[in-house]
Amino acid sequence: MAGPSWLAWIFAGGMIVVAGYCLTRLVASWRQRRPSDRRVDGMHVLMGAAMAGMLVPRLRVFWTGGWEVVFAVGVAWFGWLAIREFRGQPTVGGRPGHHLQHVLACGAMLYMYLAVATVAKAAAGGSAMGGMAADGAHFRTLALVLALALIGYTVWTADRLSSLAPVAALAARSAPVPVLAGAVAGGGASLADAAGEFADSEGAGSTPRDPGEAPTGPGQRVPLSPRLAACCEIAMGVTMGYMLILML
Amino acid sequence: MATQAAHASARAGWLRGIGAVHEEGWTAPDIRRRLQLALAGLWLLDAVLQFQAFMFSKGFSQMLGGTAAGNPAVIADPINWSAKIVAQHGTATNAIFAFIQLAIGLGIAWRPTLKLALGASILWALGVWWFGEGLGGVVSGTGGPANGAPGAVIIYALLAVLLWPGRRGRAAPFAAGQFTGANVARALWLVLWGSLVYMALLPATRAPKALGGMVSAMASGQPGWLASADNDMGAFLTSHGPALAVALAVALALVAVSVYLPRPAARAGVVLAIVIAAFIWVCEGLGGILTGGGTDPNSGLLLALLAVAYWPLASALSATGPATGRPDLAATTQPVSSEGA
Repeated sequence: MAGPSWLAWIFAGGMIVVAGYCLTRLVASWRQRRPSDRRVDGMHVLMGAAMAGMLVPRLRVFWTGGWEVVFAVGVAWFGWLAIREFRGQPTVGGRPGHHLQHVLACGAMLYMYLAVATVAKAAAGGSAMGGMAADGAHFRTLALVLALALIGYTVWTADRLSSLAPVAALAARSAPVPVLAGAVAGGGASLADAAGEFADSEGAGSTPRDPGEAPTGPGQRVPLSPRLAACCEIAMGVTMGYMLILML
Repeated sequence: MATQAAHASARAGWLRGIGAVHEEGWTAPDIRRRLQLALAGLWLLDAVLQFQAFMFSKGFSQMLGGTAAGNPAVIADPINWSAKIVAQHGTATNAIFAFIQLAIGLGIAWRPTLKLALGASILWALGVWWFGEGLGGVVSGTGGPANGAPGAVIIYALLAVLLWPGRRGRAAPFAAGQFTGANVARALWLVLWGSLVYMALLPATRAPKALGGMVSAMASGQPGWLASADNDMGAFLTSHGPALAVALAVALALVAVSVYLPRPAARAGVVLAIVIAAFIWVCEGLGGILTGGGTDPNSGLLLALLAVAYWPLASALSATGPATGRPDLAATTQPVSSEGA
């Protein structure tokens, strides 16, 4: 049993947009030296492409095998970061449980690929998701548990969406830009370029926040939009929840 | 060595800024907000369940039409009318249903749209209660605690009312009483659990083999562990049906009145409510969500969430008092942020 094809295309389209946007973030972060969690962005590129290919087989533009290894590495990598996070060591983001979300997402992808592999022969023709659903008797309780956990993290992320400052506010905090040259070796656009679009008179006079909570301040580079990054996580969480529910 | 240091410095540069994204004035969720988020999660679960292939088939409209059975014409006719529309336009209507539930779930989770989404959820739940659940079998007399009565979706609406944001200054001994006030919240609890007592004593539940048959029927299509649990429980209930229905009614009655008792007894009542809710949920086969044909987790899980909202706190929730043994920062410093727009 599989969902309607047009629905799969909608979700797959959303994942392509997410993957494309995260790729753009990676490039922009690299070239402009702007802060971004590149590990998460990179994983989202891979995950978005993989999910689109699972939903609509015609969208498999990358290799077809080996994704299990990619997501197994992802589980181990983000798992290690999550352990560090819970031990109180400094990590990216400063959000408790942030990496656990990615452990879970990579684990869900790994689970789906392994489930697909067990039924691939029986699912000749049609979508891979259809094949998975046809053999839904295998580990469907685990699929439900993973779906519930991902939905929980999606809700958690959506709740924190309004806690994330918009880029304009971050740019305002970062302006003016006294010394950019030499702040970070390498080229890329200067903060003045980035801040010039957003900074206003109020922002130019703003004072740095508590260093523990607000590392950005005058002279710091403006992070890439954290709100859009969170929206990507929400979109991925909903889509992955849908894919897991299809396996029931 | 110098290259490594430069690399580390550059890496720290892009890492350092990530923590700098938190907006001022935002605070962590308090107990009511956490309950709202749980409600949002359930709506999201409903949405993805609604996207299942079965919901786009004729089976879904037949399931809707089946809820008309036993109801008076004034209730049954609109159900049949809506089921016919869903049958004729199955794909479009089901997609709309699913996206509405998705919007409600995300809307509750995103603070600026909290009130809008909660309001929409109440209207949507009332509509589904009638057109999708046939008023939960309350009027037809076919409903029982073990088969979803008085309707899972009406508990969504009840939770939305009880967890409505605002009126933070009102003192309440439990989270569910913050908006409506403790007396109204207690009355709603009494009505809900009292109605379950009444339905547990109806022939649909109390008749010999009725309860056992109801539970055994839920085993179909379930994974092995749940099917065997439902089969075993069904067999046991079949042999002790009427007595157990009365015992269930007594337990439900204790839960219903416990909210008016002193705090230790009230807490025991909430614990008993959660245990009964878990029992009901297993009897319901977890709402059939593991069968590929469930539209929601049914009433058991909702009753448990509702019970948590009535957990008596150490001291009354108010603008000035502690809520959970520590200063109620939520009440004193975030009148808007966790309440939505």
